[in-house]
Amino acid sequence: MDNTTLLSEFQPKPTKQVIEYERQLFQARFSPCGKFLLASGYDATIQRWDVSGSESKRLNPCLGHHAWVPCLAFIPTTERIVSADSWGQIAVWRYADETPSPVWKNDTAHDGWVRAVAVSPDGQRIASGGNDRMLRMWSAADGKLLKEWPHPEKIFSLCFHPSGSSLVSGDLKGVIRDWDIDTATVRRELDARVLYQLDKIQECGGVRHLSFNHDGKRLACAGQKTPGGGFSTGFPCVLVFDWDDGQLLREMQMGKNDDGFAYDAIFHPAGFVMATSCAFPGKGFVWCWTPQNEKPFFESTSIPNGRSLSLHPDGRRIALLVSKSANGNGRVLVQGVYQGGSAQIHILEF
Amino acid sequence: MLGAAAAGGLGLGTFLQPCVADELAKNDKQVLLIWLDGGMSQLESWDPKPNTEFGGPFRAIPTSVPGIHVCELLKHTAKQMHHLAVLRSVCTQDNSHSAGVARMNRGDPKNRGVEYPYLGSAVAKLLGPTSSGMPPYIWIKPNSGGFKASDAGFLGAKYGALALGDGKPPDNLLLNKSISPEEDELRNELRRKFNDRYAVGRRTQWTDANSYVYELAQKLMKRDDLFDESSFTDKDRQRYGTHELGRHLLLARRTLETGVRFVKVNSYHWDSHGDNFNASESLISQFDQPFAALIEDLHQRTMLDNVLVIVMSEFGRTPKINSHVGRDHWPEAWSIAMAGAGIRKGVVVGKTNDQGTFVEDKPYDIGHLFHTWFKAMGVPPDKMEYDNQGQPLPVAHDDCGPIDELLV
Repeated sequence: MDNTTLLSEFQPKPTKQVIEYERQLFQARFSPCGKFLLASGYDATIQRWDVSGSESKRLNPCLGHHAWVPCLAFIPTTERIVSADSWGQIAVWRYADETPSPVWKNDTAHDGWVRAVAVSPDGQRIASGGNDRMLRMWSAADGKLLKEWPHPEKIFSLCFHPSGSSLVSGDLKGVIRDWDIDTATVRRELDARVLYQLDKIQECGGVRHLSFNHDGKRLACAGQKTPGGGFSTGFPCVLVFDWDDGQLLREMQMGKNDDGFAYDAIFHPAGFVMATSCAFPGKGFVWCWTPQNEKPFFESTSIPNGRSLSLHPDGRRIALLVSKSANGNGRVLVQGVYQGGSAQIHILEF
Repeated sequence: MLGAAAAGGLGLGTFLQPCVADELAKNDKQVLLIWLDGGMSQLESWDPKPNTEFGGPFRAIPTSVPGIHVCELLKHTAKQMHHLAVLRSVCTQDNSHSAGVARMNRGDPKNRGVEYPYLGSAVAKLLGPTSSGMPPYIWIKPNSGGFKASDAGFLGAKYGALALGDGKPPDNLLLNKSISPEEDELRNELRRKFNDRYAVGRRTQWTDANSYVYELAQKLMKRDDLFDESSFTDKDRQRYGTHELGRHLLLARRTLETGVRFVKVNSYHWDSHGDNFNASESLISQFDQPFAALIEDLHQRTMLDNVLVIVMSEFGRTPKINSHVGRDHWPEAWSIAMAGAGIRKGVVVGKTNDQGTFVEDKPYDIGHLFHTWFKAMGVPPDKMEYDNQGQPLPVAHDDCGPIDELLV
């Protein structure tokens, strides 16, 4: 499909619905049933909203994590999610309960920062990984450790292939590994090293997000091209690979070299990638790009500082999570109070 | 461990009261300043605030001193905490690099219309070289080296820093193999005659400094072993790390062992406005490992009682995490660590509030720290002052005093 046709059919448009949250958030995802929107935060919580009506309704959060909750994932066929925090805890929750409590949790699932969790397509297994360079596989039902094996680098991202046959990891150095789950061995590596750079003395970048399209023929990985240290400047970038032959199909580089990280990239069922990036306040894009075409068919900076995108099961609504936290040196007080950051979730529609 | 200082070498007596000069001549204290340029986050290092709004993702871990915790990124340093003192109530004036670097290095004295020396030059002036005869002020830094006179301020160029670019000797320092020592001495004799003739009637700080640098070079030429990296053991290289800061801190250890009075080690690119937490993981590990090894080594060599070790930057980093997951510049409430000569062991002094945003008890500026460090080195600042061509100048800020809780 050419870009003009795509744009006429799939142009994300803002609605009046904007959900405000007083702290910063990492990810906001619609539940598979479409009734809930869940978001994991810097404040050790998972926030919930009922989005079934014309206006969102804030629900009781999931409480019990110790620190940042950078990742969450829904467990198919159940009303459960798995989440992980930066102190090594993994927890599974019944997210539809009035006051969710953990079905199970493991405070020492990892040593330190868990950066990614993924759920197998059949909902039976949960994979996790992070700073301790261990890949671990858990029973989704009861949290039993099924398998573990070392990973050569810090794990930044994980996803299962839709067939369930592969677990895919992305690391700090821009290496994507296709793991045979049964043997815990690497079948092959895909090269996303443009998303990493040793800039002077600082290791920068990494594969920040991985996702397959619905039939598993395409893999998108998000990050920053030629990432730099200090101000952490670079081009938001999504690489799309052909999963069968491992070839890079499209390097989706956006904006300028100070537009920050592409933190999220997901496939729309129609085959295009939706992605968002975040950098200093006012920076960053939302864009839609089909790998077959050289240019994106949609790009916008009107809602900058995007951290995640989620497509509602109705195929029409999109939840765009953005960060609202000014940068600046020195003391900034409002009525005598030191100010932190906050978040907004914009509901867009095709 | 080192003998009496050679007070005459830098004309110490001409600047100080004679009785004080005699006292200082016996001083064998040395200093190592580790400067993390750009600003290390206090929240990811010395003053963690786990599970608070601005605390970030990392855990606080216990240290070798019961009750004192540091960020998990300092896992090696935590084991050396019983040697360290951390001041958590640092509150300084500048949130820009350009002003902050100079002010922190100069100790922020009152403005008297002169450019004050950096700490290394001040110590070179006040204490002179040790009995080793080695240059009093060596600066180990990335990139280029050479003689950096600008640190000396009004003291004059010869109190500047001899910079070892990437730890390498200055260009052409080592004697060309085609020249015998005897021939070299003849060359130097001729040079000295030319210098003396040129200086007659026009002796200034600059001609003086020019001659002085040659003398320094000659002393260094006799210690070319200082620069022989192959003589470090594999175990040392492993313990300090093969990255830039690790190599430079290992060289700093050797430089202190040879008797250099003041050693400064600079590391750059700590200004983590974006992606601060991944940056901190990458950067702080490069500090933590060699710093812990160095403290352990100085202790085992019984040098720590004589060597004052200081770790600082131009400021800390904002509690607030910006949209780029970074932390910006924050002079309001941050931490400086120190150890060794005259400094109490295993203590934390000062406190920030629960959020880490501001100092909760008495804030201390760099002027207090300069008084503290001069006192730790055995320099009584209340009894001495610089004489800048007749202008009396206190060595540190008039309105500040030492922080007694940090001192033995």
